[in-house]
Amino acid sequence: MSKVEELAQIKKDLKEMLVRDLSLEDVRPEEIKDDEVLFGEGLGLDSLDAVEIVVLLQRNFGLEVKNMDQGKEIFRSIDTLANFVLENKKPS
Amino acid sequence: MKIIGIGTLFSGGRGIDAFQQALAKGWQAPSPLACRDRTLPAYQVDLDGMADRTVLKKLRRADKLSKIAVVAASDAVADSGLGAAEQQKMGVIVATAFGAHATTFAFLDGILEYGDAAVSPTIFSNSVHNAAASYISSALAIQGPTLTVTQFFFSFQAALQLADAWLREGRVEDVLVGAVDQVGEVMGYIAASRLAIARDGRIKPFVFSPAEAVPGEGAAFFVMSSRDRGSAYCTVDGLRFHDDLSGPVRSDLDILDADGLSIDESSYISSLVPGVPAAAYAPLYGSMMIGSAFSCAAGALMLKEQRCFASPVPDNPRGLAIVREPADSSIEFIRCIRYNCSTDRAVIELKKA
Repeated sequence: MSKVEELAQIKKDLKEMLVRDLSLEDVRPEEIKDDEVLFGEGLGLDSLDAVEIVVLLQRNFGLEVKNMDQGKEIFRSIDTLANFVLENKKPS
Repeated sequence: MKIIGIGTLFSGGRGIDAFQQALAKGWQAPSPLACRDRTLPAYQVDLDGMADRTVLKKLRRADKLSKIAVVAASDAVADSGLGAAEQQKMGVIVATAFGAHATTFAFLDGILEYGDAAVSPTIFSNSVHNAAASYISSALAIQGPTLTVTQFFFSFQAALQLADAWLREGRVEDVLVGAVDQVGEVMGYIAASRLAIARDGRIKPFVFSPAEAVPGEGAAFFVMSSRDRGSAYCTVDGLRFHDDLSGPVRSDLDILDADGLSIDESSYISSLVPGVPAAAYAPLYGSMMIGSAFSCAAGALMLKEQRCFASPVPDNPRGLAIVREPADSSIEFIRCIRYNCSTDRAVIELKKA
């Protein structure tokens, strides 16, 4: 799988994960845009969702986000989340 | 204290109108519940099929138990007709036998599967025992005292007792009090292991022994008020526990909570009074330790409508006097009688408003 294909797959997985595990009502994974802001006025996630995403990254990709300043940038959109996962996930 | 609003959510639908229709319609088959290597009949709430999801939109993080509780509580408040200012001041008491047990097991499964550092914080927050009551307060903007009462068989009766105390001492003028419980894989497994399950899906309350159960889930909430309102369903005239037999028995109809949660429910027979017909409605909503709340809703409806509803499963090998057909009737008093596994008794006495 090429890097581009892998990135696309990660984005798809992340969108499905957010909708399913954050119980987002009236949102389908394919409706979330890659560059859509996840928190605040964008998708409307809040600080409790951020904590849940930290756990989801750990569970699904084995990744830890310990620095919350770094987390703010990582959690900005699906694009930034997917890039973080791609760059840091352990080789399978 | 008077019952001025009722909200119910069970397998047969949402709202007091749906409950009344179920009482009029009679027995309906339960649905299959898969648990481990077996399937058993159960009365399950379908939240996904709910048409009006307005209140659920405020609850995306809530688990099923809390959602069931909030929907029923919300409907009870709407049914009461209380204004926003009155609603804000009311108290909340939630009764439950098992609480968020399904969520607690999900939380424990998370620890086993992912380790304690990667357990969902949302699942943890929902496993906290007062979660349902807190969701109710939050979703309905209620700022009065909020409490959860847990007791296996008599949690609803204990909650009513507490509500009465709050009203008598003037702590609040209205209390939203109700009961909720959930059935799922864990509870299904326990029921299948520990109880005799009615494989035909019919709880037969008047068979008494051996008694058979069909697990159920749902919530019944009531707005109790100390105010004198013309639109009340009925008055909760008394609560008697254990061997309190003081005073005369005043009853035109006894609702028995016999539902198969004890293998031998013969104790109910000793509560019956000659000339007073009995009814039992657990076959409509399933076996639940909080089933008394649904009996109370049925009693309140009958006192308001002055109409008796037939027992949905009238198998009656002992030839007891039971309500077999629905009929308009002059009813002044109703007793809702529940026994636990130790044959302790709790009676809710309802009186026409």
